Amino acid sequence: MPSILHRRLLPLVVPGLILAAWIGATSGEGAPLQVLVPPSAVIDGFNELLSSGELADHLRASLWRLLTGFAIGASLGLGFGILLARSALVAAYTGPFFQAVRQVPSIAFLPMLILLLGVDEGFKLAIVAKAAFFPVALATHDGVKGISKGWLEVAAIYRLSPVRVLLRLILPATVPPVLTGLRLGLTRAWIVLVAAELMAAENGIGQMMEMGRQMFRIDTVMVGVALTGLIGFALDQGFRLAERRLVRWKTA
Amino acid sequence: MNAIIDPRSVQADSAPHTGGLAIRHVDKSFDIDGRKLSVLEDVSLTIAPGQFVSIVGASGCGKSTLLRLIAGLERQNRGDILLDGVPVAGPGLDRGLIFQDHRLFPWLTVEQNVLLALSNSDEAAADKRVRVASLLTLVGLDGFAQAFPHQLSGGMAQRAAIARALAPEPQVLLLDEPLGALDALTRLRLQSELQRIWLTRRSTMIMVTHDVDEALFLGDVIVVMQPGRIARILHVPAPHPRDRADPSLAPLKAEILSLLHAG
Amino acid sequence: MSLIAEFPPNFVHADRIDDHDPPPAWLVALVKRARGLLLPVLLAGLWHWASTIDASTAYAFVPLDQIGDRLLLLLSSGELAVNAGSSLGRALTGLALGGLSGIVLGSLMAGFPMVERLFGPLLQAFRQVPLLGWLPLVGLWLGSGEGAKQLLVAVAAFHPLLLNSYEGFAQAEKKHLEVGRVLMLSRWRTFRFILLPTALPSILTGIGQALAFAWISTIGVELLFGTGAGLGSLMHTAQMAGDMGVVVLCVVAIGLMGYGLNLILSLVRARLLRWRVTG
Repeated sequence: MPSILHRRLLPLVVPGLILAAWIGATSGEGAPLQVLVPPSAVIDGFNELLSSGELADHLRASLWRLLTGFAIGASLGLGFGILLARSALVAAYTGPFFQAVRQVPSIAFLPMLILLLGVDEGFKLAIVAKAAFFPVALATHDGVKGISKGWLEVAAIYRLSPVRVLLRLILPATVPPVLTGLRLGLTRAWIVLVAAELMAAENGIGQMMEMGRQMFRIDTVMVGVALTGLIGFALDQGFRLAERRLVRWKTA
Repeated sequence: MNAIIDPRSVQADSAPHTGGLAIRHVDKSFDIDGRKLSVLEDVSLTIAPGQFVSIVGASGCGKSTLLRLIAGLERQNRGDILLDGVPVAGPGLDRGLIFQDHRLFPWLTVEQNVLLALSNSDEAAADKRVRVASLLTLVGLDGFAQAFPHQLSGGMAQRAAIARALAPEPQVLLLDEPLGALDALTRLRLQSELQRIWLTRRSTMIMVTHDVDEALFLGDVIVVMQPGRIARILHVPAPHPRDRADPSLAPLKAEILSLLHAG
Repeated sequence: MSLIAEFPPNFVHADRIDDHDPPPAWLVALVKRARGLLLPVLLAGLWHWASTIDASTAYAFVPLDQIGDRLLLLLSSGELAVNAGSSLGRALTGLALGGLSGIVLGSLMAGFPMVERLFGPLLQAFRQVPLLGWLPLVGLWLGSGEGAKQLLVAVAAFHPLLLNSYEGFAQAEKKHLEVGRVLMLSRWRTFRFILLPTALPSILTGIGQALAFAWISTIGVELLFGTGAGLGSLMHTAQMAGDMGVVVLCVVAIGLMGYGLNLILSLVRARLLRWRVTG
């Protein structure tokens, strides 16, 4: 079928052209090596980083920060979100401040946290936790608030026990928005972590790229760009997969 | 099946000269998952200018498809549809169409919705607005020109849709179950309104419905359809404006119902 | 009501049992609102207290009055206005450049499957890289000047509008398009009165997201490049100098401006989408 071939091949046209232009520009007396290296050099650079174990070290450092910070921020967000939704008092006293701080992009807190916590691990964990906290808290709050009165009335009519209400009503109703919040929190945390590592770190993917930039190692930088994209994609897709498995009853 | 409609019931003095339709040996089928599904087979029908024709039939008998063919939204596989002798090829302003769902554009006010139907006319903007205002008066929507569709009730929205369809002054107005989505009382009121509008305008109107009473109240001619074909064509002798309790309607209703049950 | 009407007004007045009126509604509302201020005031108090412990804590937690001094200084020297204006201009220029290209490409992709197939998967792949992840590469290629910053901010605004305008235009309803055919609308009118209004809510959502992304990345690129004017650069310099006061003020200004931009947009949005069913 030519139309299927057409559909399969069309997406490859533009990337193919870019690759061809890239190879063309770097073959012979092309651009200086500080500006553009041939694709093969990027692959060599990747192999070098891989075999020396350097890449693994950077990856380990970044992922450890991401997961630790995310775990802290997400669990705090979960707890605070429930409180904010269930307690009018908590909402009255902390709601406005929560909303105000939420207006400030996480990145803007980096210099402040560096001055408060120094350039060691502390500020990176703090900024990752902060980035994860807000989306998770907000989604949890919305999820808990969104439980319809009608459903609770149905539960009351059938005299469901509190455990049943929790397991059969509150959890299923809140899990989808909370999962979405967690996913959003994780991807935001990753973005902010890369920025934090670009600013100040001894290791990590961001620091690897920043060093590459300072030493004009364009191959290292390109490997880093591809990796940050890949990791972000994998985190997002992994979470979406989990969402689909857990919330099969949803149509969308 | 061939059927020629006698324009007897139209008063000779006010009968218009345009808006006559000839449908000749029309076939229509759809491809569904590669299989041919025949919807209309060799349908022929002649409608005189200025007539009100009601088409009744069960769901899926092809009555809406026939209307969409006349509107030019679909193309027949075989046969001709002639409007005043000219073959129909695609939609045109000489034919207006009113859908079951009002299909007003929610982002435009009532006035803007009707104005949009006049976008092909060269009139000055001020003249257009005057025309729209008189149309809104005709359908009983005075004072609602600036309302958005979501602010209207179902009946009012359908009135606006009627105004929009009338705006280009079509010779033929096609109504695809126009009152099907309304509650019973609103329906009765709008049936009388439609009759009044038809008596004022005297353009040809073809209405698809599955409400037999509605068909009898409005139509000069009732086309009864069974799946894919025209089963019978009946003339309603009662004068307009029509009395719902007119004794001539009862036997016609019995006949139509028995045809529909047989189909 | 009827009971009171039977008595002369002065009698009713004299008969009132409790002397103290309930507090007026506005006072209740004010007190209720003021509860939200307690937490920030408490935190500010703690901050101020931390600044008095010893010199090492005073370095990080600068005394509140010092922050006030910095504010006056930044305001009177015009430094705050210049840097805020520079950031705002950068964000809005990026929004205009990146956003417009996003809308154009998004609508082309919705209208022509060919364009979607050519560019869709590639753009999807590019989108995966966190925006600031591009920064070292762009820095190598374009340096750390205005061009590099503007490019990154434009890219940040590009993606949300590409996505949202694509989705918006793709969801045009068949039944509305049919009405357009019956009314014999021209191509331009079909676009203007059917396709564009259908896509508008999505596009406005996209503008909201794009504005937020443009603002965040403006601050991010200024902070990470640390060159030129802008609130991010100001913050960068202050961090290097250990000037917490200026850093705090920048954070507040960034938050307020982001909030203000969002507010303006939601007003525009409400105005443009009046036709939608509300509450």
